[in-house]
Amino acid sequence: MSAVLVSSLTKIFNQGRTDEVVALSDVDLEIKSGEFVSLIGPSGCGKSTLLRLIADLIAPSTGTVTVAGKSADAARREQAYGIAFQQAGLFEWRTVLKNVELPLELRGLSKAERKAKASEMLELVGLAEFAGHYPAQLSGGMQQRVAIARALAVRPPLLLMDEPFGALDEMTRERLQSELLGICAQTGTSTVFVTHSISEAVFLSDRVVVMSARPGRITASIPVTLDSRDEAARQSPHYFECVTAVRQALRGTPLTSAS
Amino acid sequence: MKKTLYALAGITIFVVLWEGYKLVGNPEGTVLFGVRVLPRADDLSMPHLWTVLERLGRPELTGGRPVWIVIVQACLFTLGITAAGFVIGALVGLLLAVAMQRFRIVERGLLPYVILSQTVPLVALAPLVAGWGGTIMPSWATVSVIAAYLAFFPVAVGMLRGLQSPAASGVELMRSYAAGWWRTLVKLRFPASLPYLFPALRLAGAAAVVGAVVGEISTGTRGGIGRLIIEYSREATSDPAKVYTAMLGAALLGLVVAGLVSLLELPLMRHRRHVEVVTL
Repeated sequence: MSAVLVSSLTKIFNQGRTDEVVALSDVDLEIKSGEFVSLIGPSGCGKSTLLRLIADLIAPSTGTVTVAGKSADAARREQAYGIAFQQAGLFEWRTVLKNVELPLELRGLSKAERKAKASEMLELVGLAEFAGHYPAQLSGGMQQRVAIARALAVRPPLLLMDEPFGALDEMTRERLQSELLGICAQTGTSTVFVTHSISEAVFLSDRVVVMSARPGRITASIPVTLDSRDEAARQSPHYFECVTAVRQALRGTPLTSAS
Repeated sequence: MKKTLYALAGITIFVVLWEGYKLVGNPEGTVLFGVRVLPRADDLSMPHLWTVLERLGRPELTGGRPVWIVIVQACLFTLGITAAGFVIGALVGLLLAVAMQRFRIVERGLLPYVILSQTVPLVALAPLVAGWGGTIMPSWATVSVIAAYLAFFPVAVGMLRGLQSPAASGVELMRSYAAGWWRTLVKLRFPASLPYLFPALRLAGAAAVVGAVVGEISTGTRGGIGRLIIEYSREATSDPAKVYTAMLGAALLGLVVAGLVSLLELPLMRHRRHVEVVTL
């Protein structure tokens, strides 16, 4: 079963008004279980809109979204996905542990269960010793790790990420990318990752989906088959080939070979 | 420690200004083109501060209780009225804010009237409230209603801002957790609104004191500090220090209320006290 199935999806904002915007036009996309897919494209190409549609944060104009065999609405109600945004968006009045516990709390888990699961997730992102801190005491990179732990707390089969590392410096970014891959491998989560960094998309993904603007649509889907996802991979010829392929697809020049 | 020093410095500056002006100011006041720009500095208008303090210790009337006891009792009476008004006002303000946050149409329809309510002169309104309420409740309760009428406003407006303060990502996050309106309110909007609520409560506290004092005066309620100010001011020509003792009491009452309100804040704003940033 596919993790996400998007078929002939169209999203028009302000429909019927003078400021009507076609954010997405007739988009089809399938994400297999356990697959890591990046959405990349210029600003305004609708990549964040597509993510929000999958998350059922907004409703499509036409077309359907299926998450793990259910409608997007049903999937959201079952907390079948975890989500992380560009801003960590932690609740500043809650400690790090309590922030990670939030989705579990809303699921109605007992106090002990919540604490155990949240602590486990903090362990996973390497912040166990900061459980009692408040978000304002943490650096941006640490806050983003807490946000990832929060997104993973309910152990969702699907992880949706909207430029989660966009606001971080390059070094923190690369470290978190490796950590994210480790976490996804460990938990077997399928991931949809929105980014505007080509190198990030290629390094992380099994497949890079390239989008273009006005109207937002998918123009290419480039598979990435790196042998490993470590520092060596960032230097491998195949990595650079894929980067070139994505760049060409973004520019709109005809795609020659991506393998 | 530092705070105490600042407070003492503030009092000292006030004393120096008061007594300094008395020393150099024209006892008849300074009149410029027929307009008095500086107040009279004679003992009748501005008694020496030590005269006021000394007046506190002497009996209210010959053979009566000392003034300070009378004033403390009056302040406690007014404090009770203020507290009742504050609680009612804060609750009404909270409910209005929640209703306005929940329903856009309520906000559009109600907010102008909420603002309008504060432009009605209190002295015009107080006798009306006393007239309507006088038949069904004791007079202290009508004064509480007047205090509440002033106190609800900052809470309603401040709380509305606070409830609307969470970023879109926070609201989306709650939606992604399939949390409905109520749970979003409890888990996100309420906690996020606390930094807006406390300043609003402090304003509401001050407004409740003003409402209680003015309400006492205009409804003629006996026993409170507002009434005492009026009574003592009638004796201002023969005993000018006396009315200042009552005003001192009213000012202290305001400080006590402000202090009590900020005590509410301590247990709820713990996260604000940690500021040092850890980097890893």
